Amino acid sequence: MTSILVGIFNVLLVLAAAPLLDGILRQVRARIHSRQGPPVLQTYYDLAKLMVKEDQRGANNFIFNAAPVACLGAVLMAALFVPMGGVVPLGFAGDALALVYILALAPICLCLGGMASGSPYSYVGVSREVMMLMVVEPVLAITLIATSIKAHSLLLANCINRYVASPPDISLIICAIAFFLALQPEVAKVPFDLAEAEQEIMEGPLVEYSGRKLALMKWSMYSKQIVLFALLVGGFLPWPKTSFLPLGVLFTLIKVLIVAVLVEVIAQVFPRLKINQAIRYFAIVIAVALTGLILAVMGL
Amino acid sequence: MTSENLLAAIGEHCPGALLSSATPRPGRLFVTVNRSSMPAVAEYLFNTVRARLILSVGTDKSPIDGNYEVSYVFSLDQDQLIVAVKELVDPADPRVPSVTNIIPGANWHEREVRDLLGIVPEGHPDPRRLVVSDDWPEDAFPLRKEFPYNFKPPRVTEVKPPMREAKEGEKQATVLSVGPFYPTLEEPAYFRLYVEGEQIVGSDYRGFFSHRGIEKLTETVLDYNQVPFIAERICGICGFVHSATYCMAVEQAAEIEIPPRAKYIRSLMLELERVHSHLLWLGLAAHYLGFDTVLMQAWRIREPVMWLTEQITGNRKTYGMNLVGGVRRDIDDATAEKILQTVEKIEKETKELIGAAVEDNSLKMRLQKVGVLSYEDARKICVVGPTARASGVAIDARKDHPYLAYPDLDFQIAVHDQGDIWDRTLVRAEETFTSIALIRQIVAKMPPGELMAEVGTIPPWREGIAVAEAPRGECGHYVLTGPDNRPYRWRVRASTYPQLQSVPYMLDKMQIADFPIIVGSIDPCFSCTERVLAVDTKTRNVRTYTKKELLAMSQRKAGQGRRA
Repeated sequence: MTSILVGIFNVLLVLAAAPLLDGILRQVRARIHSRQGPPVLQTYYDLAKLMVKEDQRGANNFIFNAAPVACLGAVLMAALFVPMGGVVPLGFAGDALALVYILALAPICLCLGGMASGSPYSYVGVSREVMMLMVVEPVLAITLIATSIKAHSLLLANCINRYVASPPDISLIICAIAFFLALQPEVAKVPFDLAEAEQEIMEGPLVEYSGRKLALMKWSMYSKQIVLFALLVGGFLPWPKTSFLPLGVLFTLIKVLIVAVLVEVIAQVFPRLKINQAIRYFAIVIAVALTGLILAVMGL
Repeated sequence: MTSENLLAAIGEHCPGALLSSATPRPGRLFVTVNRSSMPAVAEYLFNTVRARLILSVGTDKSPIDGNYEVSYVFSLDQDQLIVAVKELVDPADPRVPSVTNIIPGANWHEREVRDLLGIVPEGHPDPRRLVVSDDWPEDAFPLRKEFPYNFKPPRVTEVKPPMREAKEGEKQATVLSVGPFYPTLEEPAYFRLYVEGEQIVGSDYRGFFSHRGIEKLTETVLDYNQVPFIAERICGICGFVHSATYCMAVEQAAEIEIPPRAKYIRSLMLELERVHSHLLWLGLAAHYLGFDTVLMQAWRIREPVMWLTEQITGNRKTYGMNLVGGVRRDIDDATAEKILQTVEKIEKETKELIGAAVEDNSLKMRLQKVGVLSYEDARKICVVGPTARASGVAIDARKDHPYLAYPDLDFQIAVHDQGDIWDRTLVRAEETFTSIALIRQIVAKMPPGELMAEVGTIPPWREGIAVAEAPRGECGHYVLTGPDNRPYRWRVRASTYPQLQSVPYMLDKMQIADFPIIVGSIDPCFSCTERVLAVDTKTRNVRTYTKKELLAMSQRKAGQGRRA
């Protein structure tokens, strides 16, 4: 019963806090730009505006129409597996592996929607997204497997408990770094936001979306940010551990905010890379993650 | 090479070509040649003398002497010499031999003459429509004198842009349409890219969507002193250089010597314009790469220049300073002090920004060896400005054809030779500092005196060719004075005109991701429209705002901004 309540709480928290996080990041961006920036609630206003805007029906087929809903659904499902302050709402044996697949669902929905729109800009965006997916998802998978190996369990909750109980291992520190490096493309931030690349292909897969569907797509992207950041802090930075749930949630949110600001600052000091450059870079990140995995197998 | 030597050499290499010649003033040579020997003369000038084509002009002189006239204007950059080679064309048989196969940079010039005057360049490799719109009638040539300036062509419902057929090697490729309205480029331009995966294998361009017929308007409606104001509206960023170059061309034709103080004030405004334009470009280029921090910082640094010009001229842009014979506003000591303080601050901040940018390895990854234009291609297409100087073509109108205050000033031009976007960035960065140094020199040396020369009646049938270095490169103006207190013919060649023709060379074998920055790297300036059309979606009524309404709207908006 508690786990169901925590699950609902997690989903609602992600949905409600995601636009706020984006609003705060817009303020951070504005400060780096020497701008005044929009109010922190601006992202809520933007979503509300898109919700009531006319849908231009860039394409009209089932996949195009269903993709935004499926995309948001996939992100919220992932939220059920991510610890937000200690408790993993939907824990079952093997959830660490399931999470890897569920996390990949959202970009796949985005790609399907983009392909269904028929725009050449979308095609370019989708092909970039898929290429990035193939080099970034392994990083997430490898790092999560490394934690499982350390905990001798495929249950995320066990992984975290084991992690909190013992001093940090070198293998997990390396994995945490690799996971952090993979965040930039996962949450579509410069220098790895090639699939959206506003100045090149005008948000790629999103180019034909408008109105409510665009709002859902955007909302799922903001939600994905918070889920991934929470996964990083929950999985690799679980301190300080507290059994009092509200305090745990608060700690998580603060840590999420710190990670988010770091990611945003990185996004503001680099130009966007090209797809071949990005893939070459992630080949190195995969190698780093594999090093972490090998060390974990060796028991370090 | 002096003009006498050149004349003799042309006579020697192309026997029988010369019909007549004139040297109205040092640095200018006007030659009339036989129509059939034009390619030979062009070949000699371009390949042997290694002159550069600035522009070509088609003039309908049939009301005067019964002929059309086509001139190709060349620059001998090492010799401070500009040569106009003319050929006379019988209106009954409007054909000229094309020189595009010899000088690829003549491509657009010849198509423009064909579109506007109906003079067919025979043997042109790519004789598609260029300037007039797709629904313009085949047999209407706007720059012929009998053509009314207010002609409205009949409405056409179906139009197709004149894009070329896919070449061999492009047939299997995906077509990616960029434009006519592409959010990144702000202005209307249509690129058709042939892509395989991420790689661009071919490209085609259609522009001139906002061709406004300014030249025709000048020849029929405006007078000499109204033209500077419309000339300034040719471009929203480097407008001052157009009005200044126009005035210089008229002054040259009418042999008006403007007061030294006016020369210095014009030079000062030109350099201020270059500083803000280069900073604007730096920001835009970074934006094309998704690097918005540099965009915002560059524009923050640039903003004081806009305030400064507002203080000097009353406007942030479109200064309205130039008249034939001088300038309208003076610069007092307090303003001069303010100018020095402002450029001091800008220099310091730009140094910090550019210092950080040139150290950035990821920027180098995106800019080095991208959009390369070789020295030979740059010369072939006759590109100008930073685009040419980054490819090792050391030309700068301020040095090659010194005008206004530049003969008195001490400066070096920035030249790099890799021809990639990185070098274009370096050239612009160095030029920003050169301009700041020039502004200091101009303020220090500013002579006292009058602002306007005595301008009497401007005699008709005199020609003036003026070039000036705009931020984007040399821009050239040709003026033939007329009898009704207005130019009989005024031809403007803006600096983006040759640069855009070099874009297909730069795009070849690059990636889609490189497209915005490659097009951006020439600092393109398509053109801006002066009136707004609004369509009511409910009633489908087209409503044209009058000048009065627009003014009221903008004043209302400005008032809101001030209160906020």
